[in-house]
Amino acid sequence: MEWLAAITTGGLAGLGLWMLLDRNLKRVVLGVVVLGNAINLGVLTAGRFFGERPAFVETGNTVEAANPLPQALVLTAIVIGFSLFIFALALLKRTRELHGDKTTDSVSSITEQPAPDWHDSEHESDGAEARR
Amino acid sequence: MLYLLSLIALVALMAPGLTRLLGARTGWLLMLAPLAAFIWFVQQIPLIASGEAVLQSMSWIPALGINLSLRLDGLSLVFALLISGIGSLIVLYAGSYLSSHAHLGRFHAYLLVFMLAMLGLVLADDLVAMFVFWELTSIASFLLISFQHEKAVSRRAALQALLITGGGGLALLAGLILLGGATGNWQFSSLSVEQIEGHVLLPAIIALVLLGCFTKSAQVPFHLWLPNAMNAPTPVSAYLHSATMVKAGIYLLARLNPVLGGSIGWGTLLITFGAATAVLGAFLAFRQTDIKRLLAYTTVTVLGQLTMLIGTNTSYGLQAFVLYLVAHSLYKGALFMAVGAIDHATGTRELARLGGLIRYMPLTGAAVALAALSNAGLPPFFGFIAKEFKYTGLIEMGHIGWAVTLVMILTNALLFAAAGLVFLQTFLGKRGDYPRQPHEVGLPMWLGPMLLAIGGFLLGAWNAWPETWLVNNAVQAVARGPVDVNLYLWGGITPALLASLLTVSLGVLFYVMRDRVRQLLDSANTAWNVSGDLIWDRLLKRVFHFAGLLAARFQHGSLRQHLVLLALAVGGLLAVGLLPALPQLLQGSYSPISPLGLAGCLLALAGGVAAAFLPGRLTLLAALGACGLGLALVFVSVNAPDVAMTQLMVETLSLIFLALVFRKMPTVPASGARAPWKRRLHASVAILFGLSVSGALLLAVSLPLPGDIAQWYQANSLPGGHGHNVVNVILVDFRAFDTLGEILVVALSALAAASLLGTGRRFGNEHSGEDAFTSPLLRQGLRPLAWLMLAASLLLLWRGHNLPGGGFIGGLVAACGLILLVLTYGHGQIHRVLPLAPAQLIGIGLGCAAGAGILGLIAGNAFLTGLWTFPGGLPLGTPLLFDIGVFLTVFGSALHMIDKLTGVRH
Repeated sequence: MEWLAAITTGGLAGLGLWMLLDRNLKRVVLGVVVLGNAINLGVLTAGRFFGERPAFVETGNTVEAANPLPQALVLTAIVIGFSLFIFALALLKRTRELHGDKTTDSVSSITEQPAPDWHDSEHESDGAEARR
Repeated sequence: MLYLLSLIALVALMAPGLTRLLGARTGWLLMLAPLAAFIWFVQQIPLIASGEAVLQSMSWIPALGINLSLRLDGLSLVFALLISGIGSLIVLYAGSYLSSHAHLGRFHAYLLVFMLAMLGLVLADDLVAMFVFWELTSIASFLLISFQHEKAVSRRAALQALLITGGGGLALLAGLILLGGATGNWQFSSLSVEQIEGHVLLPAIIALVLLGCFTKSAQVPFHLWLPNAMNAPTPVSAYLHSATMVKAGIYLLARLNPVLGGSIGWGTLLITFGAATAVLGAFLAFRQTDIKRLLAYTTVTVLGQLTMLIGTNTSYGLQAFVLYLVAHSLYKGALFMAVGAIDHATGTRELARLGGLIRYMPLTGAAVALAALSNAGLPPFFGFIAKEFKYTGLIEMGHIGWAVTLVMILTNALLFAAAGLVFLQTFLGKRGDYPRQPHEVGLPMWLGPMLLAIGGFLLGAWNAWPETWLVNNAVQAVARGPVDVNLYLWGGITPALLASLLTVSLGVLFYVMRDRVRQLLDSANTAWNVSGDLIWDRLLKRVFHFAGLLAARFQHGSLRQHLVLLALAVGGLLAVGLLPALPQLLQGSYSPISPLGLAGCLLALAGGVAAAFLPGRLTLLAALGACGLGLALVFVSVNAPDVAMTQLMVETLSLIFLALVFRKMPTVPASGARAPWKRRLHASVAILFGLSVSGALLLAVSLPLPGDIAQWYQANSLPGGHGHNVVNVILVDFRAFDTLGEILVVALSALAAASLLGTGRRFGNEHSGEDAFTSPLLRQGLRPLAWLMLAASLLLLWRGHNLPGGGFIGGLVAACGLILLVLTYGHGQIHRVLPLAPAQLIGIGLGCAAGAGILGLIAGNAFLTGLWTFPGGLPLGTPLLFDIGVFLTVFGSALHMIDKLTGVRH
């Protein structure tokens, strides 16, 4: 089972990266989810699937239970991944409202504004000369 | 000594506040700190004169073996007396000079910080501590030069000084580290010649240390910054750039002379650079018409001469070094302060407009006269003795000595003439054409120059006193072996005396013919056109240009290029690392494949492929859902029911949000970049990344799992956490602090996302659901289902400690239920069902979770330790409260976002 999960993880990771590289921002946001899925599966796989029953304490049951620690980690990771996804979605929505539909690469150049204290150094010294 | 440094640091901190309270008179109060230091150092004179050294040490960075060890010996004492003594006068002077400045307090603070750094520099015995103080002086100097930061020239000068001295500082750091590494010794006092003699690194050490010292002490070609630094207020020029900071480099040269002075290169380099600096400084000085700049260039000359004197390493040369160091600090400090006073009184520093000032400023004039006589090197002033010893020291060297002596005679003659310019042309002669009616300055402003000038006279006339108490031990500290010190004014008819006479006559000649000399200097026009400043500006511009080009290569603002680079690096490195381990991948022992797991994997991959390539909106939604659902199936197949339930709930919620946002957006075209080469590049990067991730994971799982942490949790869940569901016990008990952080992240990102998703303001009917839910059958069927889900969520929360469920799952199920109501019956449902706003729920949830932790604290245990009671056999504990907190936070977060998103009707 581990090798199957590992291959699935790799496949989802590759697909997720491909989506992140898309020029359409909407698919980029979906890529965040797919890549997140890959990572969650990967973490769980790294804990091995040796257990033959869920990780519950059952007196008298001698069958080995699943590894609980990666499960706990992945459980919270899924919820955090959800909030990350919604945040990305919110950014997408807001970007579209403010700047229209834009390609991935042009977002930073559109939204970027010069720092408030930015001056052209030559103009500045000219100004200082003039003031004196 | 540590107390003194702390006292000055404390006073520096208080200076701005005090100055605001007391105004310009604060100088009198603040000078008490350096004065106290001065008095303490004076008290140490007898002890040091008997050949002892005062030591004090404090552990600073014990892990690296760095101590803040201070050591007061002859050389340190001379410097410390100068720094604290002149410093006291300067603080007083600055209070008066800048009395009307709005930021006088800040100025005092900078000045005292500088004083602290400078004292630390000369007292530190540890190489690293010395370097820290060294850099601190550079920074303090930057702040002081740029004090009038509204002037562009001041900012430029400050930056230039910082870059040159800071750059040299880097070289020095490297040199000191090499020195410490080569000798295994990090204290100046325990360094010795034997440790370093013949070492391979010696030339590198010498080169780096000299670079640091030369930049600090303004030796050619790094002398540029010093005259420009004269844009600072005059107290700064007098203190930092003539008496103290520029001598830091000289100090270090002197300090290391006993260790490094043995090599031939050391002496040659010092004499060559020193001589070049001295000559250039003297010629440039003579060309100036602004007295302050003139003094600045004479300082450059003197720094060159001092460097030369260390390089001689003869007994007279080193005596002359110490004498001249003290003499110069005294008279140059006095002259600078006096020039500041003249500027203050007349409003100009141009030589051509000054003259006859003695009538208006008799006290300042007297001080300048005394200082200028010492500067000119006339008997019986201290400057004279220094000059005699210089000549004797140089002549002692033999053939080269005579050549160097000629340089010395020439530069001294020019200094002599410059002294004439400063006193004769300014104070005597006919009345100048001043912009302002001059007046004598106040006591704080003439006291400093006067005391320093008189000091120069007294030390020269009663020279037995400095010989016994000061010079002797300083010279021993600089010299490589014992040296006899014997000061005298009259040593008979010696070559030195003849050289002195020659100097004076040349100096008089230069002064009388000053206009001719200037003309002559100006006629070498082309030489002056090679302006170091211009080269500096161009160099700086090039550097910025280059940095800009380099940054543009990496900071191109393209997310996709960044990602490609990142993925290529990660994928490539992993792939390279994996290649040798390939055979092992096939030998691992893996658990058997379950049909459910296989179906899940296939579904996830298929969903992923569809999401990655297909166009449209609904298609993508479905594809993403399939991907998540497949993953949930995998989780079920590997015995992770809690994870599977969470995944299922999150997937549902994600799709609802996605659908609500996507329906107002245009459709998504098929994927891939337009350019084919780019598409191929992206595809290959993605494939490489996927393969290497798979490979790395395969390699990891083919090895046995180290440790037995899974078994530990299994064994301790029931006895320690009173729960059968190990995953839940880990979440709310064993690793609860982790979970607390995670729900905080969820809450914060929900608050942030919600503000971007919408305003939450309601328009129109808030009791009508989505158009797609108008079917009566659906409406009637969904309401009980929603309530069932809300009830089930509470059940999941309660039983989660022992059976599948828990706060996370419960919260998500409850959110799903309520969202179902919102979609069917409208936005108003949130407020009908809940008495509180969702954001308040988040707060309460976080409060419960943190409160559960604090209860543990109150009970005297560590934060988040579980407390349990068993009323009637029912286990109740703080982990349950914690889980309720998780439930409320997750529930509130999801609701808060949907509340904002669905608030606006279109």
